[in-house]
Amino acid sequence: MEETDKPLERVEALLEAERCLYCFDAPCEKACPANVPIPEFIHSIKTNNLQGAREIIEIAHPLIETCGRICPEESFCQSACIRAEVDSPIKIRELHRYVTDNTEPSRNLVVSVEKKGRVAIVGGGPAGLSCARELRRMGFETVIFEKKELGGIPMQQVSKTRFPESVGKREVRFINDNFVTEVKDKKIQSIKEIRDGFDAIFIATGLQEELDLDIKGKNLKGVYFAAELLKFARASIKTPVGKRVGVIGGGNVAVEVATVLKQENNERDVELVYRRGLKELKAFKDEIDEAVNVGVTMQFLAIPIEIKGNGFVEGIVVRRARLSKPDASGRRNFEEIPNSDFFIPLDTIVIAIGQKPADYFEELEKTDKGLIKVDYNFMTSVKGVFAGGDIVKGASTIVESVAQGKKAALSIANYLNGGKNV
Amino acid sequence: MYKEKDISIDFLGIHLDSPFVLSASPSTDEMDMAYKGLREGWAGIILKTTSVEGNEVNLKNPMMSSFGLMSEKVIGLGNIDLISKYHINDIEERVKYLKKEFPQKMIAASIMGAKKEDWQSLVLRLKKAGADLIECSFSCPQGSMGEEAGKMLAQSIEATEKVTAWVKEAADKTPVLIKITPQVTDIVEVAKAVRRGGADGITASNTIPSLLGIDISTFEPYPSLFGKSSYSGLSGPAIKPITLRTIAEIAKNVDIIISGNGGAFSWQDAVEFMAVGASNVQFCTLPMHYGFRTIRDLKSGLAHYLEDMGFNSPLDIVGKALNKIKANEELPDIHARSEIDTDKCVGCGLCYIACSDGGHMAIQWDSDERKPAVDEDKCTGCAMCMQVCPVDAIKMREKSGDAIHYFVEKR
Repeated sequence: MEETDKPLERVEALLEAERCLYCFDAPCEKACPANVPIPEFIHSIKTNNLQGAREIIEIAHPLIETCGRICPEESFCQSACIRAEVDSPIKIRELHRYVTDNTEPSRNLVVSVEKKGRVAIVGGGPAGLSCARELRRMGFETVIFEKKELGGIPMQQVSKTRFPESVGKREVRFINDNFVTEVKDKKIQSIKEIRDGFDAIFIATGLQEELDLDIKGKNLKGVYFAAELLKFARASIKTPVGKRVGVIGGGNVAVEVATVLKQENNERDVELVYRRGLKELKAFKDEIDEAVNVGVTMQFLAIPIEIKGNGFVEGIVVRRARLSKPDASGRRNFEEIPNSDFFIPLDTIVIAIGQKPADYFEELEKTDKGLIKVDYNFMTSVKGVFAGGDIVKGASTIVESVAQGKKAALSIANYLNGGKNV
Repeated sequence: MYKEKDISIDFLGIHLDSPFVLSASPSTDEMDMAYKGLREGWAGIILKTTSVEGNEVNLKNPMMSSFGLMSEKVIGLGNIDLISKYHINDIEERVKYLKKEFPQKMIAASIMGAKKEDWQSLVLRLKKAGADLIECSFSCPQGSMGEEAGKMLAQSIEATEKVTAWVKEAADKTPVLIKITPQVTDIVEVAKAVRRGGADGITASNTIPSLLGIDISTFEPYPSLFGKSSYSGLSGPAIKPITLRTIAEIAKNVDIIISGNGGAFSWQDAVEFMAVGASNVQFCTLPMHYGFRTIRDLKSGLAHYLEDMGFNSPLDIVGKALNKIKANEELPDIHARSEIDTDKCVGCGLCYIACSDGGHMAIQWDSDERKPAVDEDKCTGCAMCMQVCPVDAIKMREKSGDAIHYFVEKR
């Protein structure tokens, strides 16, 4: 399937780049979790120094290709763009992608030849890969433990129309070839499995388990978790879903899976079933826009009550909700409206209400949500064991995981240069 | 239809329905184009420079090139054009025809010659054909029949005066404009020579000798003709400030009628040319780029400007800025300070960086609030900050006693 976002042509890129004010002490750069020096790279686009622009982004951001395509710019850099006060914010991600589309990965990144220590990295997603690249550049050996394909969430849960597989694979391969000493195909569930042979450990396993919906009928045939369907889609295998699909949830994964299922078969009705309203959707604007564009419909203010069926799913009973007071973050909550139940006939239900951490690494202190506790250096309750990414902060974004991987790498290097071992 | 304001002028005894004339250029080199330009409303036309039969004109193409900045492709337009490939016999016919079709328009021709007989026979033939005015190109940068090979006629004071006199002798009562080059040590001396030679006016000025650019992968200059190139004549917005100075210097020092030419791209540019002494304005790059239709905005813009300013005629503008142009040492001593309108300020920090690296480090930067603040002890009032502010939030403020004066630049 073709990518939906088209890259900028040179003239478009120039017109957009020259709108950039080249702010001093730029707020976009500060709003980027990876602190990409945005005005600097945009200036290099203006002078047609695209490889130089790439180097500026790439040194700050190991997953440069990935974020050039799917970073939710409106939540980060673009939200701080000063140009918005003049007319509209700069299309920063599109310019970022213009650079990556027209350049090759930099061969000039300096990698130290020293072998200062050996670090185990558990999980080969954005946080793990970023940490590995930074550590290897600083002269540490990096061993990634990953049971699945390297790349993590972007490789597993993002539709191919937004993020082509070839691009992800190329990026992961580049990091693997240049910054990873070894990849071990092994699932790690406790510290003691890797205690020996490593000077430090970085845990970046992400959230590995699906949150389940606790309602009647969830074991009927035709009820799926989003993650398994997205895996089918990424592997270009036909999904087993029917003609009338309800996707329960309002986050990126819910919107993504709805989009993917609609794209797979345009004859199919795909409806998002969500307890709150459009404004409360947690999914990013780009994802929602794409879902609407492909024809996904939305059933807002609908609380799932019971899945009905006889062996197979026949539909879902939902209760009407109304929006109530905002929570601490300003996002409005919902409350049930009594006697408002109604039935939506469906042959497939997809549960996409979020992921949770697996119950591994019991040696480490956890939060009440099961996330790993770390200090400001990303060190866990066990000395020499660090953690970052979604397993620390809960479900978030690629760029935030990249940022944590980078920062954790610095902390690990500082720790190891202090001459201590696990 | 709207009521049209009269923006006509008298130029060297010729009635122009507006001050806007098509200059000798590719736009006036074909009969049909000349016709179309006049039909679209230009007040007059100067047919592209012609010469006597026998002077073979070997035009090289591609002749056009340009330089720009980022997405703006044409800030300056370059050409390695020469004079028209049409000789005087064709031009005579055109003058006759156009004069018949457009009796109310100025039909002029541009000429270039080598010998006295050439210059004078060109003038006599055009006069006979009915030309309203004759312009003499003393300044084609690419190939001019100057006194010395490779040198423009107008770069020699003596030759300028001598040839002007030949032309005027033959032209008699027909007005003559001498088109000069800004590429001289002292433009005033050249203008004085034109005056001594007896010309009625001076066209200030022409394209400027230039090199449009180099392809940095092949080192071929632009325009590249299989790797080889030549110096181009530069026109367009890039040369407007140079032309302004050229006109102003002549107008301040020599009593001669000036036709402004070189870099005017809008009615505002034309008003500026007239404000420093031009009596009409010639256009070339604008119609070449966007077409003869551009005359409509030139005329309407000028009409509205005159209305707004309370002027009766475009000629009221002529020379209005001249007595304000002084030598540096005659300028007043000013102790202005930068004043930043923090409500307007969007917090980009460009004034801070410009002052820090290009001024006197007089702007402080509050990183949390993203607001600049002027250190009045350090500020010299240079106005660099004002140039870079994208939202025009900065003015220079002069306080003397209770009186406050702001120095601003309107865009």
